[in-house]
Amino acid sequence: MAQGSIDPSGRRFKLPSLLDVRVLGVLAQLAFVVGFILVTVWFINNILSNLDALGESQFICIDGSSKPRCSFDFLSSDAQFELAETPIEYDPADSYWRALGAAALNTLKVIVSGIILATILGTFVGIARLSKNWLVANIAKWYVDILRNTPLVLQLIIIYFSVLLALPQIEEAIKIPGIPIFISQRGVNFINATFLPSAGVWLAFLVLGLIQAQVLWWILGRVEEQTGRSQNRFLWPIISFLAIAILGWVFSSNDTNQSILLGRQLQVEEISDFETLMLQRYDVNTLGEIDMLVANEVMTQDAVDELALSLCVLRDAPSEVNFTAQLRQRGIPYTVRRLSSQSRATSSFADGDCEVYVAPTAVLAGERDILENPNSFLLLPVQEAPVRWSIPRIEGFNFVGGGKMTTEFTAVLIGLVLNTGATIAEIVRAGIQSVSKGQSEAARALGLSEGQRLRLVVLPQALRVIIPPQTSQYLNLAKNSTLALAVAYPDFWNIANTTINQSGRSIQIMLIVLAFYLSISLIVSLMLNAYNRRIQLVER
Amino acid sequence: MDVILSNIRALVPGRKQFHLDLRRFVAEQITRSWILMVWLIAFTAFVGWYTIGQLSAAPGSTTTVLIIWALTVYMTVISELQKDHTPLTFWLKENMYNSINNVLVTLFLTLLILAGVRAFYSYAWVNASFETDPITSNEERPNEITVDDALAAYRVDFSNFPEGSSLPPRVILENAAGTPIRQVTLTKSADDPNIVIEELEDIHTGASWGSVIENLPNILLFRFRDPVIQWRIWASIGVLVVLALPSFVVYRGERYRGTTTRRLLTWAWVASPLIIFGLLYGLTAEGPLQVVDPDQIWGGFVLTVIISVFAIVVSFPIGMLLALGRRSNIQGIPWWVTYPVAIAITIWGLLTTTPANLEASRNTAETILAYWPLAVPVLAFFFQRSFKGNVVAAFSTGYIEVVRGTPFIVVLFMSIILFPIFLPSGWDISGVIRVLLASALFSAAYLAENIRGGLQALPNGQYEAADSLGLSAFNKYRLIILPQALRAVIPAIVGQFIGLYKDTSLVYLVGLFDMLALANGISSQNNWLGIRTEPYILLMVIYFLGSSLMAWYSRRLERQLGVGER
Repeated sequence: MAQGSIDPSGRRFKLPSLLDVRVLGVLAQLAFVVGFILVTVWFINNILSNLDALGESQFICIDGSSKPRCSFDFLSSDAQFELAETPIEYDPADSYWRALGAAALNTLKVIVSGIILATILGTFVGIARLSKNWLVANIAKWYVDILRNTPLVLQLIIIYFSVLLALPQIEEAIKIPGIPIFISQRGVNFINATFLPSAGVWLAFLVLGLIQAQVLWWILGRVEEQTGRSQNRFLWPIISFLAIAILGWVFSSNDTNQSILLGRQLQVEEISDFETLMLQRYDVNTLGEIDMLVANEVMTQDAVDELALSLCVLRDAPSEVNFTAQLRQRGIPYTVRRLSSQSRATSSFADGDCEVYVAPTAVLAGERDILENPNSFLLLPVQEAPVRWSIPRIEGFNFVGGGKMTTEFTAVLIGLVLNTGATIAEIVRAGIQSVSKGQSEAARALGLSEGQRLRLVVLPQALRVIIPPQTSQYLNLAKNSTLALAVAYPDFWNIANTTINQSGRSIQIMLIVLAFYLSISLIVSLMLNAYNRRIQLVER
Repeated sequence: MDVILSNIRALVPGRKQFHLDLRRFVAEQITRSWILMVWLIAFTAFVGWYTIGQLSAAPGSTTTVLIIWALTVYMTVISELQKDHTPLTFWLKENMYNSINNVLVTLFLTLLILAGVRAFYSYAWVNASFETDPITSNEERPNEITVDDALAAYRVDFSNFPEGSSLPPRVILENAAGTPIRQVTLTKSADDPNIVIEELEDIHTGASWGSVIENLPNILLFRFRDPVIQWRIWASIGVLVVLALPSFVVYRGERYRGTTTRRLLTWAWVASPLIIFGLLYGLTAEGPLQVVDPDQIWGGFVLTVIISVFAIVVSFPIGMLLALGRRSNIQGIPWWVTYPVAIAITIWGLLTTTPANLEASRNTAETILAYWPLAVPVLAFFFQRSFKGNVVAAFSTGYIEVVRGTPFIVVLFMSIILFPIFLPSGWDISGVIRVLLASALFSAAYLAENIRGGLQALPNGQYEAADSLGLSAFNKYRLIILPQALRAVIPAIVGQFIGLYKDTSLVYLVGLFDMLALANGISSQNNWLGIRTEPYILLMVIYFLGSSLMAWYSRRLERQLGVGER
């Protein structure tokens, strides 16, 4: 619609400017802006009058006055609620900020592990949907259908209440033979590598080894090019890498930042002396006989525990893992008192609750001076391995040591992974089917195996079709993580909700929640768009 | 008969010659790679171990499966060797037994499915109880188990329960000596502080379907169970049936195209949500169509249907406007208006608010925020660059993206918490209505994206053709663009309706009595303490059937309308 037109008679005429599309457009825009502003003003007026009705507490400052700029100040006051699990240290006396931060990390934990696992599961199921085996294809189809046609929250609740909470109690936990993994009502406890302080040195060695292997691989390649004789480009780099790794292990094990503090009257000069001490105490010839004492009814279990070496440690300290692993190696029986702080551990040790105090050397050197007569105590360095396995054991009513996934986390994770995996399976299947049959036939004609055909020919091409819808599935997973509320997993939304209920500041928290989830959406889509661009570049 | 005969014949090696290149067979199936060999050995061992386990667990069915498996494998192998397949062996060869690996996989999966079916069958039927009143219906038997034993097995602290309460008979006490499984119920009588133990006649270790049977009317109808208002549900269903029956005739084929009958029926369909809403919500203060309080009356499956239908119906026009708004290319506000205004605001802000804010600021964040006017030109720049000054497009895009980035459950809570704050204090909107509006506004953003997809799929020639015919903008969209665009997005809209139908299960988190809330409530009923799985299974079935039915209908509709064919 041009501004001026030629009418049939050939005369130019000009439209009245009020009927010009461009003018009309601007007028419409202005009308929209005015209407929008009016509605917004109406809302703001309502909000202000409603907030007035709620009282000044919404805007209370730390100094007690009330100003709008203080509307977020309440977040610095004590949260006063517990979090069932936190990746960072948190105490009810900490601020709302810290509670929300810990909850945000919980959310990120679910999202990141969920995305990784759902992608793996979805890819496998998507391929299984196209399996030549009728049974496999149909099982995959039914899995996808059932998961996609029922609400996620119902799936979560079923997984939580009907599956996970129906598992055996902690004393009868399901053990997977050969692997220290325990599955019970209280979650999954599994073996976990504990990194001791010297692990840093060892990791440095590993990095060095990797660089060296890479360089060696490159040099061998050059030699191969120049001499024409084939070199073993895998064996030598691997051997030298292993050599450096072992060297690093030995080197970092000599580190003495772990020690034990013990009374001189024990007459223990080095760790092996504990063996003689125990042999005397139990009045046996070898340590192996101690286990037989209870079986042969010479002693009760309580009496055996009474004589065992008693240790004081800080809760969750790697030094405990390191020292007890060495005691177990030697077969020395021990009992552990776990204390929540240094000062408590020291006073417990001073009171004679335990014979040995295990901690980093720096801590012990300081603590020994606090004791009444420091000279009657001996500081004994303990050999340290950079990495020790920490194995979960039942102590009392709980598992101690190892890694742990709580029931709530497990439920949310399984639910999100199964549900998103089903959708991803459909996307993967559509992606694979979008690759023309000729590509597969060509791959087979070249003699590629089925695995190679998928890995080298089909998937790279299918990825281009898969990535865009996959992005929105990842975003869905991130948003669906808010359903953790249904099984009481302390994710960001759950804790934000608790904060609203406790502080009564709904608008402020809602703004924070919106900002949090919108930025997660933004970050995930930005990352995947960048990846998408990289993949699409290879397009024909 | 012929089919059976020909298959039996396949069992007997015929006179035909065998074609077997053993070396090639071994090379292809076993020694192709060492990974395959290791896998085959490990998998064979595993399947063998599993089969032996199943044989001891359920000898009858496992043996049957094994025999059928061996027989069909034998048949397939013989047919393959003779290169003479019956349809059955050919299908088996193609779909079940196309490699040694798949022969094993088939056996393993069959046994696995069998074990699953057996477990579910015994849980849901053999060991299940269909008793709707478990506590009073059983005769008392001589007391053989002590109360302490029973309490230990129940794992609840019964001493804290109020007098007169009882525990459901679902815990099984098994003696260490191996005496038969027994089942008891514990009751605390009102006059006697002691716990009374009863042993039950019929023992069940499986599902208590009685809980579901007893609560089914509640889960489906909630307060519409009440005979005074129950007729309204039947009337609503009646309206739908009356409309649906003639639709099968009128909308099929060309016979009624363009007739008054068809137009009337269409209008009736358009009006039907209003009629049903009137029936369910009520119209008058008194009388048979009394207005009900939705917070109290609406619930269960009825609420699920109300929310999903309301949301999709109301969100449709909003979503269409948003989609058109986002794609609109009407003349925007020109740059020579935007930039001067933006700069004026910046200067005004810097001069009037910034100094005072800087003085009052208490931390770095507030110091930075005091310079807010500097952000205005930046925003103006992006507004001009991305939307060419088109406010409508900017608003639609912003609305769609913000809503799509927000989880539904957050939107629901916002509706419950923030609606009263956003509206004047006199307006009192009930919780259900808030949730209905929130669902509609939420769903509009997603619908807008679907419709936008349909609009984008339309070739440009259609727009140009409409323009060249001299149609006004309104008629262009009404007659040319929307009918085609909407037809293309019908599957997407049905998909979204399915999504809404499933998402309604979230409203229990904001305190509405939907099916999930009622199912959760069963576990705290006196007769069914702690019973959760059975109602959840019912809900899974209801949701699964509903969604699958709609998905199936969507696929049919897609075929009928020939989406993607024209």
